[in-house]
Amino acid sequence: MRFVLAIICCKLIRLALRVLGRGGTALPGKVALRICPDMLSRLARGVRVAVVTGTNGKTTTCRMLEKMLRDAGMDCFANRSGSNLERGITADFVSNANIFGRPKRRLAVIECDEAAFRRVCGELSPRVCVVTNVFRDQLDRYGEVTHTLGAIREGLDRAAHATVCLNADCSLTASLAADAPDRVRFFGVDTALGAAPAVSDAPRCIVCGAQYEYDYHTFAHLGGFRCPKCGYSRTEPDVAVISVSALNPDGSAAVLRIDGEVYDAAVGLPGGYNLYNAAAAIAAATALGVPAGDAVRSLARLESGFGRMERFEIGPSRITMVLVKNPAGCDRAIDYLRSIPGDCTAVFCLNDNLADGTDVSWIWDAGFERLFEGEGGGRLSLIVSGERADDMRLRLKYAGAAEDSVRVVRSESELVEAVTTAGGQVCILPTYTAMLPLRAALAAKCGRKEFWK
Amino acid sequence: MRELRIFHLYPDVLNLYGDRGNVLCLKRRLEWRGLGCTVTEVPMGERARLSDADICFIGGGQDFEQGLLLEDLRSGRAADIKAAVEDGAAFLCVCGGYQLMGHYYETASGERCQFIGALDLATVGAAERMIGNFAFETAFGTVVGFENHSGRTRLGAGVEPLGRVLRGYGNNGEDGTEGAKYKNVFCTYSHGPVLPKNPALADAVLSAALERKYGDASLDPLGDLSEREAHESVLKKILG
Repeated sequence: MRFVLAIICCKLIRLALRVLGRGGTALPGKVALRICPDMLSRLARGVRVAVVTGTNGKTTTCRMLEKMLRDAGMDCFANRSGSNLERGITADFVSNANIFGRPKRRLAVIECDEAAFRRVCGELSPRVCVVTNVFRDQLDRYGEVTHTLGAIREGLDRAAHATVCLNADCSLTASLAADAPDRVRFFGVDTALGAAPAVSDAPRCIVCGAQYEYDYHTFAHLGGFRCPKCGYSRTEPDVAVISVSALNPDGSAAVLRIDGEVYDAAVGLPGGYNLYNAAAAIAAATALGVPAGDAVRSLARLESGFGRMERFEIGPSRITMVLVKNPAGCDRAIDYLRSIPGDCTAVFCLNDNLADGTDVSWIWDAGFERLFEGEGGGRLSLIVSGERADDMRLRLKYAGAAEDSVRVVRSESELVEAVTTAGGQVCILPTYTAMLPLRAALAAKCGRKEFWK
Repeated sequence: MRELRIFHLYPDVLNLYGDRGNVLCLKRRLEWRGLGCTVTEVPMGERARLSDADICFIGGGQDFEQGLLLEDLRSGRAADIKAAVEDGAAFLCVCGGYQLMGHYYETASGERCQFIGALDLATVGAAERMIGNFAFETAFGTVVGFENHSGRTRLGAGVEPLGRVLRGYGNNGEDGTEGAKYKNVFCTYSHGPVLPKNPALADAVLSAALERKYGDASLDPLGDLSEREAHESVLKKILG
């Protein structure tokens, strides 16, 4: 009875919020869990679930996996809003159920916050778990990166029947394999994509503490690592990107090896890091029964996720929005900004709310200097905004920007005006809570739907 | 031309929370004044003549990586650091790096790690972390930053606190002190990183090193527009 009551409350609150024009996803789930604490596990009965966690790439990997499943004719639902805590996930399971809790669709792709992963795995009994990577992120919330790893490990313990897809190139993530020995699928990139990083999140062997050696680097601490002392090293992946023939502003071309078979792939999202997301999604899709060749073909037909490389054409401006959350992700966004030829307006929106991380120190670990190397800085018009705009301006000054060349925009309406009238290429790098209202304003200007519609 | 040699100790393992921004800050503030600067990174296990350093920077790290350092300290590095401190070299030590300068760190379960012992202070771990924006008053003006530590540090008779807490926790959340100052050693729990938003503190570190090396601590004034505005906006946020 409590179960049915919780479902009805959840559905009503969600409906009411939408009538009010708000995309609330947390509140309905929170109320429902208060009424019936075990409702998520009850709603998940009879639903095959893939859970995706990790520091970077969760949302994009989920979108890719969803696309692969749909293209293969497997009807599924997902928590598309990015509300990836237990309450948001609960609300999405309620939406998928009738008032008696019977699921409409029996396959789910669920993005899950690292800290919530342990509980959510216990409730959902997933068939597939994906860990995209582990970087430093929001240390004010999670504590140290080894704590994040420990929390994920506990989640995998609770997902006893899941196939576990792990990033073979991330020495932190790959170390989780020891806890799920017979059910791991590794994904990775067999070829160099970058050079050794200035600061590594994992310089020392997680097993014995010796310094890793690398055969090649892809991004940050990812690559062909091995420990010279204890022998802990990268495992040959089941799903591997074996070579990359093109990295363009619109997408990439690569050759993949999936369980021994070789495929040519076109990935419809730019950035080398999306090759990792693609490999992760393929590892999960094939574990759920999608033929490998079909999964590869879906990669060519992707649309970018909510605020992740999302594009808007408004007036004379061609705007790209790239969500940034931590140094590793920000460095990839800086790579992208550098790859844009010619003049460009670069907008940095830094907030310090709970969902962004209240400590903004991380901007000093991202390599903004690279924007100002050689002639690079001259082509950029710089705008900073957000609650910590002054911190961001200071960061750009020490990175090499001329102090008077950085424009500080305080209000959101002024910012929308600035980016829509700037003309040409505009690249916006917002943190999470800075992204939400800005994205909504830009989406409204080009008639795009809000995420909950 | 006056120039300073900055040694960045353990950049490979003590590299959390953007603290390397402090090294960038010191370097830029010398360059903007036409003074010389070299930065030498001294990773774990590498021997370097600390007597060559004018300024040493030690940041914070994760427990896992900080534990790895103990062996390196025992192999002679601790003695080198102590000698450099007594010789008057300038040091900036943040969070974990600050704790390392003390006698020991005692975990919540009573296990004791011997540290460098260059400064008369010690740290005891606790379960609850002290996290948030904070501000403290120093001889170099108000300092703003972000603290995130579970260790509680107590100062011995031989060292002064770097400042008095205005808002936040500081050394231990109880006695109102923040950081430590001994000879030319500046220790703080403040991330942020601490120097860019607190240019007077940055210049105090530079002046201490210049005075020791050249007997001339003078520094041309800088505009510091972005620095002041970033400082003010955070201070306003903290004091409300």
